[in-house]
Amino acid sequence: MEHQYIIAHADKTVLKISGLQVKGLNTRELEQILSDKIHSLVRVIGVTGDSVEMDIYEAEPEQIRKDAQGVIRAVALAEGITATELTQMVCSEKILEVDYNLIPDQPVSGCAKEKWMKRP
Amino acid sequence: MKTAYLLPTGNEIQNGIVLDLDTPELMIQLIRRFPQVQVTRLCPLLDDEEIILRQLEKLTPMQPDLIVLIGGSGGGHRFSKTLSRDFTHSALERFLDEHASREIYGKNGHLWCKLLCGKKGVTLVINVPGPFVEAKAAFSAFLESWSKGDSLEMINSAMAQAVFAQYPAGAAQTV
Repeated sequence: MEHQYIIAHADKTVLKISGLQVKGLNTRELEQILSDKIHSLVRVIGVTGDSVEMDIYEAEPEQIRKDAQGVIRAVALAEGITATELTQMVCSEKILEVDYNLIPDQPVSGCAKEKWMKRP
Repeated sequence: MKTAYLLPTGNEIQNGIVLDLDTPELMIQLIRRFPQVQVTRLCPLLDDEEIILRQLEKLTPMQPDLIVLIGGSGGGHRFSKTLSRDFTHSALERFLDEHASREIYGKNGHLWCKLLCGKKGVTLVINVPGPFVEAKAAFSAFLESWSKGDSLEMINSAMAQAVFAQYPAGAAQTV
């Protein structure tokens, strides 16, 4: 059967907001609110009971960091999120491009350790 | 299409930290295209390969037309400790008799999404990503391709392109 690899040449940065209370989060609403706020495409990629992690595409991390309080206030408007006095934001640098030759030449479903643990 | 099972995955979905928006959207699309379909949403599964596999094996004897696994299609936990563990693709690889698959990587070399389309006996089995817009696009592409009688490879390709189109990424590069 066919197996293919596709490379997405998108610039993105990872935005993590911690110190929240999260229950019943409407991720679609959060993405829309934050997208309107920072004028970039937003994708929620990870949620716990006290944090939200998002991919922000084609945005400048420095601009997001400058308005950290504004970003936190916007995020807290989404259904299922309550900000607390412990809420803080961390925004990574843009992802770095790697050599495509580093992409594995076999279908991947696990890291090296997982493959070792599942070895026949 | 007569019977379909939708299986949301993710600890955050099961414990209610995140609303399950994907399953209702997939149900709407399915019912719109097949008004007589009997579609069942099962209890969300934890992010555990063995749990996912056992649930798939339970459904097999019922010979549904379609099983859809929702979420857990990325590889994020390998790079961030706080992200959910993604096991739907690895469970499907162990479960399916035959399948086609595509992996979408970011330019940073991280696996963003792996989609499979395969068969187990008479049942067609696919997975879709968790983010709402990607799940919606992938399933819409699946229905369109499946309705045309496309092969597993063609369905898988259509779904991967639909997911890729949700990234602001310019042209795809197939390697």
